[in-house]
Amino acid sequence: MKMFIQLAALWKKEWLAFARDRHGLAALFIMPAIFILIMSLALADSLSGQREPSLAYAVLDLDGTPVSHALDSLLSSVDLLSKSAPPTSEEGARLRVRDGELAFAVVIPQGFARSIGTNQTPELRFLTDPTIPGMVRNGFRQYVEAAATRVWLTHVLERLGQSMMLPELRQVTERIGRPEIAIETVSNHHNGAAVLPSSAQQNVPAWLIFSMFFVVIPISAVFIGERQHGTLQRLRAQRVSFGLVLVGKFAPFVLINQIQAVVMVAIGRWFVPLCGGEALALPGNVAALTALSMLSLAVSVAAVGWALFIASLAHSNEQATVLGGISNILMGAIGGIMVPRFMMPAEMQAWTHLSPMDWALKGFHQVMLRQGNIADVLPAICALVCFGLVALAVAAFLNRRAIST
Amino acid sequence: MIRLDNLRYRYRPEEPPALDGVSLDIARGSIHGLLGPNGAGKTTLISVLIGLLTPKEGRITIDGESLNEWRAAQPNAIALVPQDYAFYPILTVAENLAFFAGAQGIPRQERQRQCDRALAFSRLEAVVNRRAGELSGGLRRRLNLAIGLTGEPDVLLLDEPTVGVDSASRRFLLETIQQFAATGKTVLYTSHYMEEVEAVCSDVTIIDHGKVLLTGPTAEVKGDRTLEQVFMEFTGHSLRD
Repeated sequence: MKMFIQLAALWKKEWLAFARDRHGLAALFIMPAIFILIMSLALADSLSGQREPSLAYAVLDLDGTPVSHALDSLLSSVDLLSKSAPPTSEEGARLRVRDGELAFAVVIPQGFARSIGTNQTPELRFLTDPTIPGMVRNGFRQYVEAAATRVWLTHVLERLGQSMMLPELRQVTERIGRPEIAIETVSNHHNGAAVLPSSAQQNVPAWLIFSMFFVVIPISAVFIGERQHGTLQRLRAQRVSFGLVLVGKFAPFVLINQIQAVVMVAIGRWFVPLCGGEALALPGNVAALTALSMLSLAVSVAAVGWALFIASLAHSNEQATVLGGISNILMGAIGGIMVPRFMMPAEMQAWTHLSPMDWALKGFHQVMLRQGNIADVLPAICALVCFGLVALAVAAFLNRRAIST
Repeated sequence: MIRLDNLRYRYRPEEPPALDGVSLDIARGSIHGLLGPNGAGKTTLISVLIGLLTPKEGRITIDGESLNEWRAAQPNAIALVPQDYAFYPILTVAENLAFFAGAQGIPRQERQRQCDRALAFSRLEAVVNRRAGELSGGLRRRLNLAIGLTGEPDVLLLDEPTVGVDSASRRFLLETIQQFAATGKTVLYTSHYMEEVEAVCSDVTIIDHGKVLLTGPTAEVKGDRTLEQVFMEFTGHSLRD
């Protein structure tokens, strides 16, 4: 009974101290809310592929022949790119590319149609913005080449048909059509759900995990003060064990982390769509929701254990803020929080396994993208809990001297 | 009677002992002054008495029982008022008192009664809802003392309780300590202010290099000299050195 009274007092104290810590509240609730909103909107195009494309291109037809019209027509719709109004001249096209208005401009030169079937090679001019990623540039170039080849082949066959008195040759390319490519998404789960997250599925769990680790700010604010001002000694003199003090800190901050989780999910689900972003889609079944809750609790154990370790290592609040902030940013950077893991090069992806934030994010994606259950995320849960307990044990060791002298 | 018998404590084997065979009797209901220069062993002695340190040798008994047995039977009967402001600046006066009372395991209703009593004793009622961090130095000292009074201890260990306060607040604190002792409680009091010890302590002990140099009733110890002169004679330097 006495222990419960002591624990209740410790919990209430932590809660009151946190509720009055404006910096802690900002780090735990305002910072992630802003990140979720901004990053969900900023990465919407890159991650969803369902919004209006933002890269523009234009075709300038200086030839003005049926052949060049046919090519222009084939280039009228390209996935992920939007076709802009044609420039008035080649110089105008260059200016628009240079100003960043157009990612690409394709110039069909005068005499393009006439050059087909002669010794002259028909030359298309391809103007490109140097900031466009090589992969996108090559993709578009290949698309233009394929279209030009198709137009060239049709025109050659037409001429050949005329000279051989076989006009039906012209229709060969239309008859044989184009090869169809059947795209199948391969997943290790039965429903074959997409394995790449949407913007909301990437950013909501990522910034939630990141902000959960920022409990280091409110925890160290109180803990370092307790150590420096002799409050821990006073509690020990009152026969409050250090273990009880740690439990007294652990439970309230695990609860605060869970409140964070609910608030951030609500922001992703209802507030981000109000601002024009995509709503966070959550699995509807109980097993998946249970798995998400267990993961969230495991992240809390890791985050609070880490925070107590940093607070034990630091000698002042300033030190704790710097140490905690830098370590969290590093864990976030290599853990796929700031840049999604699948966007990293293979060598970089190998490093992500070092970050507990990566373990947590992969766990969330396992459930959100592949309908995983507790069994699927159990390794991540175990790793996070072990990380938190080891950090806690080191924190207790570091405090050994402070509480015994 | 609180009896300290041949206490020895050393922080590290290579360092000189912080307590080197300290033997001392503290009468129940007395205010016992503990004087000594910095590093004399005062804080170590208080830490041993409150149970923060375990002596390597020696024994402490209270009313014939060992300290551990006595504390097991009445865990809140001995309290420490440290030199530091050992409370939470972000909490109010009332919240600090309630927290430290709760941390001692005192049930809610009893806790409220004891907090009210400590507030009244320290005359902090007017600032009960103010955050501790906003209090003046004198009021902070009073809060530090009030927290020590929750749990209604029989023995109060005061480590420099008047450091950094103005003379009016010091006078108030000394009166409060005397009132506390007048109810039959025991106080062990360390201070750098010789005149304070002379004014409020019925008994005094001078300690240096972990050894007791002199102990006895204040009047007998000082005779027709001042306590400062006695201290200089036994330690060879002033208390403020």
